[in-house]
Amino acid sequence: MMDSGLLLVATMAVPLAMVVACLYPAVYERILTWLPLAAVPGLLAALLERGDSIVIAPAPLRLSLALDDVGAMLLGGASLLWGAAGFYASISMRGRPGVGRFAIWWLLTLTGSLGVFIVADMTSFYLVFSLASLAAYGLVSFEGTARAQHAGLVYMVLALVGEALILLGFVMLVTATPGGNPLIRDAVAMLPDSPLENPAVLLLILGFGLKMGLVPLHVWMPLAHPVAPIPASAVLSGVIVKAGVIGLIRFLPLEVPSPDWGMALVGLGLLTAFYGVLVGLTQPHAKTILAYSTVSQMGVVAAIIGAGMTTGAPHTAALAAFYALHHLLVKGALFLGVGIAGATGKRHRLSFVIIPMALLALSLAGLPFTSGALAKFATKPLFGDGSSALLASLSAAGSTMLMLHFLGRLQLLTNVDQEAFPQRSLLFVWALVAGASFIVPWALFASISDYSLTDAIGIQALWGASWPIMVGAMLALIITRFISRVPKVPEGDVIVLVEKLAPLVARFGATIDVSDEVLRRWPVASVVLLTLAIAFGAVLQFGG
Amino acid sequence: MMPAAYVTSEGGALLIIAVMLPVVGMLAVFALGLRRAERIAYIILPAGLLIALAIAAEVARTGAAVTYVLGGWQPPLGIALRADGLSATLMVLTALVLCAVGLFAQGTFSTPPGTSEARRPMVFWTLMLGLWSALNTVFLGQDLFNLFVALELLTFSAVPLVCLDGRRETVQAALRYLLFALIGSVFYLMGAALLYGAYGTLDIAGLRLVARDDPATSVALGLMIVGLMAKAALFPLHLWLPPAHAGAPAAASAVLSALVVKAPFFLILRLWFDVAPQPGNQIAAQMLAWLGISSIIFCSIMALRQVRLKLMIAYSTVAQVGYLFLVFPLVMASDAPSAWQSIGWTGGVLQLVSHALAKASMFLAAGLIAEALGHDRIDNLNGAVTAVPISVAAFGLAGLSLMGLPPSGGFVAKLMLLTAATETANWWIVAAILVGGILAASYVFRVLGRAMAAPEIGFKAIAHIPLYRELAVLGLAICAVGLGFVPLQPFAFLGIGRVGLP
Repeated sequence: MMDSGLLLVATMAVPLAMVVACLYPAVYERILTWLPLAAVPGLLAALLERGDSIVIAPAPLRLSLALDDVGAMLLGGASLLWGAAGFYASISMRGRPGVGRFAIWWLLTLTGSLGVFIVADMTSFYLVFSLASLAAYGLVSFEGTARAQHAGLVYMVLALVGEALILLGFVMLVTATPGGNPLIRDAVAMLPDSPLENPAVLLLILGFGLKMGLVPLHVWMPLAHPVAPIPASAVLSGVIVKAGVIGLIRFLPLEVPSPDWGMALVGLGLLTAFYGVLVGLTQPHAKTILAYSTVSQMGVVAAIIGAGMTTGAPHTAALAAFYALHHLLVKGALFLGVGIAGATGKRHRLSFVIIPMALLALSLAGLPFTSGALAKFATKPLFGDGSSALLASLSAAGSTMLMLHFLGRLQLLTNVDQEAFPQRSLLFVWALVAGASFIVPWALFASISDYSLTDAIGIQALWGASWPIMVGAMLALIITRFISRVPKVPEGDVIVLVEKLAPLVARFGATIDVSDEVLRRWPVASVVLLTLAIAFGAVLQFGG
Repeated sequence: MMPAAYVTSEGGALLIIAVMLPVVGMLAVFALGLRRAERIAYIILPAGLLIALAIAAEVARTGAAVTYVLGGWQPPLGIALRADGLSATLMVLTALVLCAVGLFAQGTFSTPPGTSEARRPMVFWTLMLGLWSALNTVFLGQDLFNLFVALELLTFSAVPLVCLDGRRETVQAALRYLLFALIGSVFYLMGAALLYGAYGTLDIAGLRLVARDDPATSVALGLMIVGLMAKAALFPLHLWLPPAHAGAPAAASAVLSALVVKAPFFLILRLWFDVAPQPGNQIAAQMLAWLGISSIIFCSIMALRQVRLKLMIAYSTVAQVGYLFLVFPLVMASDAPSAWQSIGWTGGVLQLVSHALAKASMFLAAGLIAEALGHDRIDNLNGAVTAVPISVAAFGLAGLSLMGLPPSGGFVAKLMLLTAATETANWWIVAAILVGGILAASYVFRVLGRAMAAPEIGFKAIAHIPLYRELAVLGLAICAVGLGFVPLQPFAFLGIGRVGLP
């Protein structure tokens, strides 16, 4: 075992060094080939350095890294997906124009996205979180089409709003603690005594919820995730949204029971879970359906965190991270699978695409023996026996419907060449992620849950997992007859309403222009100057 | 009541050297031949930087202000110079920015070989030196009339820099600048006259002891502070700044935006904290902050709507000056043991410093981009990254600081101001800082997005930019970013030698 924490440093230093190396044109030309290596230190750190920490700069700067169990779980999964998607990108995007630029955005996003799982102090967290958020813009808008640029713009504006919300939340957290840059856990421990606890929690939920795509702040996700190239979509939908999850896990005081905020988060989460399903069902494109499924699944994760918060349950963080890990791997595999489906002809489709994709997709709905069933089983006790438990189960039925709809649309994504067969290396890396999504959660289950594995495949667990799927399948059968008649909801749904305001904004801008012109006229400026002097003198005299 | 006498402290002579060295340089230009202006500047610039650093080191070493009494005559007869932590910081900043600008300007204003004399280079370098002397005097002066003279010297050095190229629009912009600055001066002078009439002294330390809360003082301070606002181009008194700063040559724009508008602000700080009767007037402080807030929001939106890069940066300056005016209520309401140890004070000064570095870098980068592409229309900037990659990188780094994203001095400054505003429950200031950050990010990314886009086929830069000029720009941007690694707590240095508040 290494105990120096060097691998933690390398997790972020290696991809950054690769970016710097791109200053050399020779490296820049070939950087795409090296993409998979960028995630290797992260994977090694997750395996070898659990429990380690390292202080990069002592107090008062206090930049420090630490890897707890929750962080290790997500870091491992995220590194695996980044590595696999990087390999996929290095093959599928070879020779395309602008890949050097793509690789740089990729590496920067990767640095931030792995960083959020291992940083221990507040400033570093804000730094890596912003890096992941803002650099992902390069991935979203890479294709350069009008659709990609529009998605990039919406993404950027909302990401900046999210940054502002989180920054203010952090400031409120920090005001309760003495000293400049506290460790996250110290700041959160002080939070319950702070007079600003409620606004701080609200801002953090909004800011991180925006990153997770909680309704109504999800609007960027169905626009941004599908327009990126396949491997970028996989990491955007698989990993980057988890920055929001780790944010909630790290910054909400989960161990202290707070029923009000807990129930609010459960409500918001379940609303998001069903909303994502309903809008997703009207979508025609496979990748957009997956993006809405991410919205829905992140709603489930928020509900899990909220449910744990309600009672202050002890393992909430680990359980939420476990569910997030399951989603991370499955969603990554599903997005890569969409690419595989497009490269596969009719002859090989059933065995190489449809069957594995069906297993992956229904894993999200909790199909027995998949990681989804395990994740839902492990998190079930948090919800208790009340109505939120029932709604959580019904959200699995919703996921079933959405995933069956996805599989139906996936059928249409076939290569015209009947004999076409995807490149073996792509198939291999896809199989690796898909395989990991089935195996890794089984391996970790014992460490995060009080249940034994035999409970997880007991008759009660199987029934609990199966009935929502049956309900969902039946509903899916019923709605297929009507779905074509339902009007198609545009991608990003409510954003379209917001964009209706565009002319209003333009008019506002024009008003500002005109007022600037007026204010900068000599007579006006002189009068303003005189008025200000009189007013200021008067305030000085009579105001205090 | 007589104020405590000024005593020349150890190292005090450094102060008079800091003020006189640039003047010596100016005289040398005239004595040794106008052709040598640039070479003389290259001797003066590093020497001045060393002196500024020595003053800062002396302040840090002794933990007290450095003072120099000219000829040993006490004010009001004689002139006293005094450098506290804040002044020393600003002098180092000024020297640093001027050195970088000097390096940058080597290409633009060097005397063409073969010509016996060129007007533009001589004017540029002598004005730079004059401006430097004026800035140092503003930072060191202790007498409101001497400060007025320094401020005028500053204006008269700055105005011709705007119209250095002699085009019609720039001359017009320079005249606009001159006239409005003069109106500001008149206001200041009237206020100073009122104070002299009321108290019989203009020495700041003396005024602090005797200042009363009476109508004459209120009117005087109102006139002086608003007059200085006009010179600092705070919204809605910014009519002269966008055309002047956008029309000037890049090297001059950088100095004007980074340093010159900061001098009147510095004097407002001194009037507010060192002259006005204490404890200060909360409502007037809120009024200053509200002007700052409207400046941030209004001019950030204006920046977003500009078509030309340099105009965008100029409007951004007005917006960023707005942040400085937020410090008044934040410092006054702080419950820190001393106002100078409050997070708001450190945040405000850091905002001033990091904006100066970032804005200088940004104007210089814009200048190089315009030289390479032949224009500065934001919508046609594609290809800039292939023509001047280092400048675009510097623009991005400087932009990081303007937006307040980590790691950068702007981030730390805004975080400190935000913390101070949260602690004192000034929620409007909180909102303005956050919204201003989003708007700044929007206008910076708009430029970066265009500049990083692939060039059109057949694109060719019209001018080759030597590497050292790009590196000077990058150096400033790296300084702005490097400030992001200072600890998030009040700096004791900025409180050294400051008195007046409990």
